[in-house]
Amino acid sequence: MSGSKFITKIGELFGITPESDESKKKAVKELVKKLKLRRISLKKELKEESDIVKREALKDSIKIIKKQIKKGKDILDD
Amino acid sequence: MKRLFLIIMIAILSYAFLQSKNILSVSAGVAIFLFGMLSLEEGFRFFAGGLLDKFLKKLTSRIYKSIIFGAVTTTLMQSSGLVAVIAISFISAGLIGLAQGIGIVLGGNIGTTTGAWLIAGFGLKISIATYAMPMLVFGILFIFQNSKKLKGFGYILAGLGFSFLGIAYMKEGFEAFKETIDLTQYAVGGFKGLLLFTLIGAIATIVMQSSHASLVLILTALAASQITYENAIALTIGANIGTTITAIIGSLGASIDGKKLAGAHFLINTLTGLVSIGLVPQFIAFIDLTAPFLGIRENDYALKLALYHTYFNFLCVALFAPLVERMVSLLNRVFVAQKIKESERDDVLFINDLALDFEDTAQTVLLKETKHLYANVFDIITKGLSIYKEDITSGMDIEDIIKIRSHALHVDMDEFYEKRIKDIYGKIINFAILAQGKFSDDANKRLIPIKNANLRIVEAFKASKHMQKNMINYIESDNEFIKAEYNHIRKNLIKQLRNMQLIFNTTEEDVAVLLLSKLKLDAQKYDIAANKSLDNLIRTNKITYAMATSLMNDTTYAYTIASELAEVANTLFVHEDSDLKEGREALILNETEVDDMTNNPDKRRSA
Repeated sequence: MSGSKFITKIGELFGITPESDESKKKAVKELVKKLKLRRISLKKELKEESDIVKREALKDSIKIIKKQIKKGKDILDD
Repeated sequence: MKRLFLIIMIAILSYAFLQSKNILSVSAGVAIFLFGMLSLEEGFRFFAGGLLDKFLKKLTSRIYKSIIFGAVTTTLMQSSGLVAVIAISFISAGLIGLAQGIGIVLGGNIGTTTGAWLIAGFGLKISIATYAMPMLVFGILFIFQNSKKLKGFGYILAGLGFSFLGIAYMKEGFEAFKETIDLTQYAVGGFKGLLLFTLIGAIATIVMQSSHASLVLILTALAASQITYENAIALTIGANIGTTITAIIGSLGASIDGKKLAGAHFLINTLTGLVSIGLVPQFIAFIDLTAPFLGIRENDYALKLALYHTYFNFLCVALFAPLVERMVSLLNRVFVAQKIKESERDDVLFINDLALDFEDTAQTVLLKETKHLYANVFDIITKGLSIYKEDITSGMDIEDIIKIRSHALHVDMDEFYEKRIKDIYGKIINFAILAQGKFSDDANKRLIPIKNANLRIVEAFKASKHMQKNMINYIESDNEFIKAEYNHIRKNLIKQLRNMQLIFNTTEEDVAVLLLSKLKLDAQKYDIAANKSLDNLIRTNKITYAMATSLMNDTTYAYTIASELAEVANTLFVHEDSDLKEGREALILNETEVDDMTNNPDKRRSA
């Protein structure tokens, strides 16, 4: 851990410095990773599903995840 | 009764002050010292909001860690009372377990021993008032600053200054006593004396609400040879028992777990006290044996008392640390929370005055109580749909639920509101408003959405209540079309409620984030579809005008229930973990994004 990172950590722990965007980006990165895996499993489910209503629900979920991953990437690129 | 006690105390003290200037000096010393302790606590509260919360959560995962935490924080803050209050507050909020709380109390007992050493080894040996003056001046200077941290530091400095000044006054008073009166003539020897002085020590601590103040008084009196060494030991035992009464009084407004911790504190200190009373001669012999190794002179009774205090508290930890788990099960058997039957009046489960002491506990308690209110409203909403909450969690196919629950459930929604919603809702809002007035803007930013979630929960309930009347009529109607429409509303809401339960129960963050967006999308999609279906039914004369009006209103109510509860689930999930809050919030789709997905940019019509 570099000196500045150590000071930031101590500062955060003592509530002296405001928490940086880093923690938000870290959480988003983790979540995007999980959502990508979820999208893969939902796509597999969609291939095997024959019920029209359930297929529709799965398509919605995939659409939502796609949008969420895009949102996440935008945040990470900022 | 309290007022009468106060009047008697004022009368006795006034008489004593007229009789002796030394009593006035000692009493003023105690008063200044107590004021210093209050100021010290106030100062630490400015830091407790952030720093202690973080430490408490991270460093109390194991019993030994809790003991170390209790010892270190009490040493730093010189107030086992404040540490006990923090522990009770955190237990009440469910942030730490009872076992960890007991560990903190045990550690606090070790931490208090440092105070005795500081006073006996430092406070009584030098002119302590000299140090008090600059501390008071700089302390007050910092208190007038706008920065909260500087203000807190100022209170700590002033607190230390006042405590030092108090000790100086007590010392001066007892020294002067020496010239006029010898209090040791009132000393009582033997076992009777031990019991009597233990009782006096306990009562004095209960009155002063501070074992630290009692200890300072005992040490200064002992240093001035105004009490005997044996009696001072008995007074110390009494002070350790008396201090638990402060915690018991403090826990009156706490949750059942807070009461359990206060009970544990009382049990630990009283049992150790009883054991110690029986072992006083052995303790004295052991101190005489070990004191020379620590460089304590034979006639330095103040330091010997500090050593006794240390042994006493280490004995306490040695006796009870291995028994923490057993104590927890004993306390769980003694303090049993009353179970409320569904038909009975329900009350808040987590809200208590102590939770208002710290930002984190206030937020956690507010969040938990909101979930409690949600659970009650969830229950009545399902009944309003003529199903049971167990149907939602059953995993049964929604079509099958509708088939087996084809008869209307006649539930009195107003009675349910009076018994299981109104009081809890009122207390939550009251608590949230009190908390908002107390904490920083940052804390308020977290509290306000949770408070608003409660408003939404009650809005959802109201919508459910309005919908219930028609629901009862139409799910048993002869008109198959209107029956199908109402069953469609039921199916949609069952699906939404099921997803909400999944959000609350899942451990997979991505599933919750996905479902929260899906709740919003489904509510929108259903609303569009329901309006189209309604138009069709009216055009083809399949339902009457009265039915159409009811259906139109109830579609709106169904939308209100779905959308309000979706927002509630969103708030409760996002605020559950403050570290992940921003990341979660960022990825859940907002209303505009959901509108884009349904290609419905128009705002919904008002009901």
